[in-house]
Amino acid sequence: MDKLYQKKHQLWVSINFASFAINDEEIKSKLYDFAQIAFRHMKWIGSDVLERGDNYNYDRDLTLNKRKSVFEVINDLVNTTKETMTLYSNTILSQRLRTDDEYLLEYLSQILKDESNNKEITAFNTRREWLDKNLAQDQIDALTHFLFEELYKEYELILIYAYMQARTTELIQFNVFQDLIDESHFHLKSFGNMMAKMGILALPRELHEMTYIIKDLKQFVTDGIAEEEAAKEMCKELSAAIKDEELSKFFDFINYQESYHIELMQKLLK
Amino acid sequence: MTEEDLKDVELPDGMNAETLSHLMEPRNYGKLDKPSCIGVALDEKTKEYVIFYGLLDGEMIKDAKFATNGCQDTVVIGSMFTDMIINNNLDYAHGAIAKMNEKLGSMSAQQQVCADIVFSSFIASLQNLENLQNGEEEELHVLKMKDSCEGENLG
Repeated sequence: MDKLYQKKHQLWVSINFASFAINDEEIKSKLYDFAQIAFRHMKWIGSDVLERGDNYNYDRDLTLNKRKSVFEVINDLVNTTKETMTLYSNTILSQRLRTDDEYLLEYLSQILKDESNNKEITAFNTRREWLDKNLAQDQIDALTHFLFEELYKEYELILIYAYMQARTTELIQFNVFQDLIDESHFHLKSFGNMMAKMGILALPRELHEMTYIIKDLKQFVTDGIAEEEAAKEMCKELSAAIKDEELSKFFDFINYQESYHIELMQKLLK
Repeated sequence: MTEEDLKDVELPDGMNAETLSHLMEPRNYGKLDKPSCIGVALDEKTKEYVIFYGLLDGEMIKDAKFATNGCQDTVVIGSMFTDMIINNNLDYAHGAIAKMNEKLGSMSAQQQVCADIVFSSFIASLQNLENLQNGEEEELHVLKMKDSCEGENLG
């Protein structure tokens, strides 16, 4: 199994979760851009591995580091990036990966030079408060449950769709998978940031190969559509349970996005 | 943990601190490199599964890990159950199942189904062990579930 793919996968997850954990909007946004670049790196490394007739998997060696300051988070990221870079070779792809990561390290060093960036990290304090909202305990519980379920699910879907996209030769399937991956990236980001805001940010659990090696695409899509239909109901229920207009509208918005996912998935059945 | 400790088993009854801890950092999640036995409990309707890896030394459970594509209740119960049985013997593990089932009697039907799929994966692993000891070639043993988890996820 390809070690570079695993390291890049871990780096993608690490940058994403550093972005979610940090409250400063500018750093959050910039790190998220780097996470998206790292995901594209994963895709390219994966294609390269398959072209060589080799394979990769989604095994991970990551633990949740509940850091308390921005600099601790950034220093972790510096180390993870440097470890990944030791596996780059001299191919054109590796040169691209290296120059991107050198710029990431440059950006991280800029953050570390300014002591005013070293704010407290509240993403892991487990307070389960939404400071600018007045949510009752049962609403907080419902939201907590929802976010843990969905953070994992979005991560799972991104990786399953990416696995299938890398192996399809059908253009329509490739494009549908890309749309579904993009949609799940947005959901992962939204839910990750919400979890951090509530002090319950956690890594999604690792995917077992029984989850992402899909032997029957039709059955997988049929089951997925049924799951989306039921999920729409869950979103509606959460929207109704959360007595806050802004949050309710957000969950309605997610619910309407689910409707179009069903349309996209149906294209895979044609 | 001893037999006496089983009386104090705490189960996920709402979002208490312990449940939150298992949600944020599930214990014993993943795969074992060289397990003695592997069991899978599969819900064919929802395609939800739990895979259980056990490392045994005689009757002693030296290590255990699990993985699932199921809901968070399944993860929390798997995390608690594996935590309880590691470094205990098989009798203790069966006692833990009975005690957890007893306590789950007051919980939702969904949580009972989630607990059942975790326990069934453990039972499947023991069946796998027995089959291997009888000279059969079996990579893992699969048990099919009768009831489905009602939890759903977004996509």
